[in-house]
Amino acid sequence: MLEDTKYHYLENGIRLIFMPTEKFKTISMGLFVHQDLTPERAAYNALLPSVLEQGSSDYPDYLSLQQKLESLYGADVATDIVKSGERHILAFTMETAHDRYLGENGRLLAEGISVLGSVIGNPLVENNAFREDYVRQEKNQLIKDIRAILNDKVSYATERCLALMCAEENFGVFKLGRIEDYEQIDPAGLYDYYQILFNRNPIDFYVIGDLDEKIVRETADKIFAFPRNGETLELSGTEIMRPVEKIKFHEEEMAINQSKLVMGYRTYTSYQDDLYCALLVYSGILGGFPHSKLFMNVREEAGLAYYIHSRLEKHKGLMVISAGINYEERDKAREIIEQQLADMAEGNISDVELDNTKQGLVNQLRSRQDSPSQLISFHLDSSVGGKTYTIEELAAGIESVGLEELKAVADRVKLDTVYLLRPREGGSM
Amino acid sequence: MTENCRLIENRELQETLYHFRVEPGMDLYVLPRPGYQKKYAVFSTRFGSIDNCFRVEPEQEYTKLPDGVAHFLEHKLFEDERGNVFDRFAALGASANAFTSFTQTSYLFSCTANFEQNLQHLLDFVQEPYFTEKTVEKEQGIIGQEIKMYEDHPHWRVFFNLLEGLYCEHPVRNDIAGTIESISRITPDLLYRCYNNFYHPSNMALFVVGDLVPEQVGRQVEENLSARNYKTMGAIVRQYPGEPDKINRKRTVQELVVSEPILLLGFKDMVAGNLQGREKMRREILMELLLDILFGSSEELYNNLYREDLIDENFDAEYTAEINYGHTMIGGETRDPDQLYHRIMEAIAGINKKGISEEQFERHRRKILGGYIRRFNSLEFIANNFLALRFKGADLFQLPSILHEVKREEILAMVEENMDPDRHAVSIIAPENQ
Repeated sequence: MLEDTKYHYLENGIRLIFMPTEKFKTISMGLFVHQDLTPERAAYNALLPSVLEQGSSDYPDYLSLQQKLESLYGADVATDIVKSGERHILAFTMETAHDRYLGENGRLLAEGISVLGSVIGNPLVENNAFREDYVRQEKNQLIKDIRAILNDKVSYATERCLALMCAEENFGVFKLGRIEDYEQIDPAGLYDYYQILFNRNPIDFYVIGDLDEKIVRETADKIFAFPRNGETLELSGTEIMRPVEKIKFHEEEMAINQSKLVMGYRTYTSYQDDLYCALLVYSGILGGFPHSKLFMNVREEAGLAYYIHSRLEKHKGLMVISAGINYEERDKAREIIEQQLADMAEGNISDVELDNTKQGLVNQLRSRQDSPSQLISFHLDSSVGGKTYTIEELAAGIESVGLEELKAVADRVKLDTVYLLRPREGGSM
Repeated sequence: MTENCRLIENRELQETLYHFRVEPGMDLYVLPRPGYQKKYAVFSTRFGSIDNCFRVEPEQEYTKLPDGVAHFLEHKLFEDERGNVFDRFAALGASANAFTSFTQTSYLFSCTANFEQNLQHLLDFVQEPYFTEKTVEKEQGIIGQEIKMYEDHPHWRVFFNLLEGLYCEHPVRNDIAGTIESISRITPDLLYRCYNNFYHPSNMALFVVGDLVPEQVGRQVEENLSARNYKTMGAIVRQYPGEPDKINRKRTVQELVVSEPILLLGFKDMVAGNLQGREKMRREILMELLLDILFGSSEELYNNLYREDLIDENFDAEYTAEINYGHTMIGGETRDPDQLYHRIMEAIAGINKKGISEEQFERHRRKILGGYIRRFNSLEFIANNFLALRFKGADLFQLPSILHEVKREEILAMVEENMDPDRHAVSIIAPENQ
């Protein structure tokens, strides 16, 4: 179905990506503004979508915007900030039920896109600044969100490990920035930033659904007609070659019951790399599935953990292993984990492991075509990663991976940081 | 078409559901979704964490279970004489999983290839138990870690602390996984005893969805079951303790490592258990409308609370009507749980006087209808929710028709029955002093 994707550039350089399909009950769209992830700009990037979502010239407050969306059968407008490699993406999405199920005959596309267009392109501005109260309120909410990473101990431990591992790189910047960065942002400065960003940065606009291509193009041309100065900014890539000088170890105490072990590795393999598919298979065999080495050995054999897995940050080329364990068993757990990596490097990989992992990866990949948001995020990867694969190209790449390529990946993989979040006062209950 | 197949047409969604009645008494539902890559199947039994005391006709004596057996059994079915069940799904390129709730246990897979073999595998492993002393003992360690993980989870804790506050006797107050102590009492014999009764096909249902041919699925399931020569089984009689009108504990506060307090406010109701099938679902829809009108993001209260920094965008209100219990829960993270509590109670007390306008009612009704249609993009949503409602005697496909028939006047009548101030409790997670 991605082979069916239609591209069209609006006059101001925004790229329209339209995926026609009859299978969904919805019309889905998303506008994504690409920016480099940097410590100076992270808080601006996170704050901007939140402020815009509070209201526009047409719907001056959140209440009137929400009431309008409700009358469109609960259409959902949402904003987000996404960190993908060292790219920071401002996301504005809209989803509505398709007219066909409501007897509305085309109104929902036209009205839905115009509400989204209003939020993005027609903000509430007074004296060349966003409204002071909205900015203050959203700063406060985002500062709370930053503090709230603490609440989910599993993701907290992962974030801490990555931050320590990449402290000297832009990737070490948290996606919402730092609390102190918010203090310096004022409503006029944020509005300036908005104008600069929308004037020059790359923007992708996605539409997915059973719609007429001509109508989609005409509507997008009309709604997102704001002027841009012609030349689209060239963004920096993601740094993936940083060497490991010395393995870092960190332990942190907290009043919790279960220890969280997180091990961060560098794979030196990017999305464009010829070994990218081999990396997917490598991490899959190691810890991507219930049949993987980590699950089988740490959980099923040793009974040390309930969750244990490896995950990739595909654009930064990082691999992260996470497990929830008893503090007393930390050394044993690490030993078993490291043994699995050693087995990978020595090529102790059975045909069954290899084959099951390939099938599992291909299954995950093909399943992405059944969700509009997954289709968008798959396509966004090509923008961030600088290489476009179709789903079937990636599937074929995965299927062709052999032991030699896996060995080549294993030779690249280096442990960088070991992070342990442990219960206070020497041990769990 | 076999004679034991019935077609259920839904005009709003433009879907046709195939319902097979498979001997010895199992319901099979097949929903074709052309164009989807993925096929999804979920096989569920009416055995959840609250089913902890039962007998099977004509027995007289009840079996009392330690907490956490349904969930433990779910884990253990994934292992058999040939080893790990996940491996065989993996060999067929499928992704498999399972979950246990208060009222049911479900086994599922999704795949984009080898559907027939995967379905066969699902049917086989769920119908072929294998429990030994050794495997039971190992699982106690793994589930012990699962329980510990949830102990550190503030939103899970605030939820169970509230259930404990609301209910004096009903087993919904106990954690689904049980406790480290209760699962230490689980033995292979006990698992077999539960298995042999709750996993009889007449206590189960299967939902399959994707780009497939219903008759083929029907035939495959019929053949799989008929080869097993099931005997008809006596009715399962579940015993639940009588739940008094009053609540157990007004206020529960637990300290955990959190950035901000969490408030969850709940009302126990005494009506859900008396409502049958469609009426139960109707009540859920009326309550969804009421809660959305009271607390939804398109209403004044939500926007005022947000501006005053008393809530964030995760603030939520939800109603649950189960087989024999029901409750409403409202809350989220807040800097000031006491103030938020008063504002919520004030809004509930004032709604009758304030009333509900026709415009408001229509807007919220549209929102629910649109949200329902949108969720039909997800095969997992359809299958899981269809069976959950089916086990309560209701039908997911009837939502649009119920939504069309409910009247504005009915909504306010819900306040008295479902949100009685005499039956409310509060659960708070307070930040631990570091």
